[in-house]
Amino acid sequence: MAEDVPLIPREDVESYARARLAEGYDYFVYCAAAHYPASDTGVDRVLVEYRVRRLPKDMLAFRVEVPTGETTPSLVGVWAGADWQEREQYDLVGVVFAGHPDLRRIMLPEDWEGHPLRRDYAIETRHPPWR
Amino acid sequence: MAVIDPHINIDDYEPEGDLVVLNLGPQHPSTHGVLRVKLWLDGEVCIKAVPYLGYLHRGVEKLCEKLTYVMVTPIIDKNDYLAPITNEWAINNSFEQLLGVTPPPRSQYLRTICAEIQRVASHLLWLGTFGLDMGGALGGGATLFMHTFRERETVLDLFEALTGARFHYNTLCVGGNRHDIPAGWDVLVRQTLGVIASRIDEYESMVHENAIFLARTVGVGVVDPVLARALGVSGPNLRASGVDWDLRRDAPYGAYGDVQIKVPVRTEGDCFARYLVRVEEMRESIRIALQLLDGVPEGPICALKPVKLPGAVKIKPGIGYASIETPRGELGSWVIADGTERPYRCKIRPPSLHTVALLPYLAPGNNLSDIVVVLGSLDPVLGEVDR
Repeated sequence: MAEDVPLIPREDVESYARARLAEGYDYFVYCAAAHYPASDTGVDRVLVEYRVRRLPKDMLAFRVEVPTGETTPSLVGVWAGADWQEREQYDLVGVVFAGHPDLRRIMLPEDWEGHPLRRDYAIETRHPPWR
Repeated sequence: MAVIDPHINIDDYEPEGDLVVLNLGPQHPSTHGVLRVKLWLDGEVCIKAVPYLGYLHRGVEKLCEKLTYVMVTPIIDKNDYLAPITNEWAINNSFEQLLGVTPPPRSQYLRTICAEIQRVASHLLWLGTFGLDMGGALGGGATLFMHTFRERETVLDLFEALTGARFHYNTLCVGGNRHDIPAGWDVLVRQTLGVIASRIDEYESMVHENAIFLARTVGVGVVDPVLARALGVSGPNLRASGVDWDLRRDAPYGAYGDVQIKVPVRTEGDCFARYLVRVEEMRESIRIALQLLDGVPEGPICALKPVKLPGAVKIKPGIGYASIETPRGELGSWVIADGTERPYRCKIRPPSLHTVALLPYLAPGNNLSDIVVVLGSLDPVLGEVDR
């Protein structure tokens, strides 16, 4: 069951999202991100996927690619549910959402260093302070 | 309904009484786990609420990257610790979808029956703790708690008979189940569910005509359906706000395609509506479980060969999302496979995280004592919020 997920250029993602909202996709499912280091494809980047629903049956996803060090527009203004979801992906994967009203860490302490779900963050490394 | 800005700048606010900053949690019993909410109170009325998460963050998603597909299940088990079977099902669902494997019918039925009796257990626990939140409203509060926990224990006994564990069963695997139905289990299930069905009427008689219970729940914490959809709230919390949506009926998985499912919906959106929806769901779950129990097909319980060595399952590269309806709503997993025996990335979409996200919108305008009731009525499980 392979689904066809479009890859949206970063500059168009906000207008694309607004168009989907106008079509009735008003249920926010999740925003998820995955880090691909340069050793995999040549470009150190993060893949961000949003998924929305039009209740009860329709579901739609779209993706954005963010090279490390750059930002992607936040979609909090389109779906309020993106607020915490984007904070979580910022916290764990380190992708920066431009225009987010409150982009703080959500799961880890505020003084935590690094973003654990990046592929280069070794699970075996000790990361003081222990809390 | 007035629009509430969760990011209101507190310096711009002109308080009428004393402005008090109060930390609710992280160890407060009414927060149902370790949720900390920072409340700004004007007198006793809340004007801003900021939840702080992460007290239970265990890095489950990072651990998944280091474990093989077979080893992920027992870790995932601990996410929603009130309904472990649904965690296992959600993650294995995603793996199976990516692998292109469909579990055999007997496994589908067994999973569905387990999920439904787990829903009964989870809602029973919620009803009891909701009574505790209310304190004196229900004869000291603990009366209802004791009754519902007595019944919940019998449901856990059913799981113990099936899997050997009361909790964290580790009974599902990629492609099917590990434990087949033991002899006499169906009789045990019918007996237990029959008792619980009659006891649900008793709980209703304890609560429905209790004037204090009604005063504390009716009209309190009304959830706007438009906001709830934008935030991704699901499950009973959404259905209590008049949105008729249930994955079991609208995107059938497991054996749900073989049964008629009535989805209880209320339009009021307040704490009392959420209570009514959950009680009705318990009755419905018992009906579904009993109906499925009559038609469990014979055959194998796992589509793959029984796995002896962890790491025997490899999934070809791909990205997939699959979700199921848990007692708390839509639980899904976004999995990236890269052709090895370990997932490349595994994101859990927990329903409780989206439910807690409602709190900054629901708390302002309410009394401190009502916030405790509102939080209790939303039924979040912090284990899956923080992961």
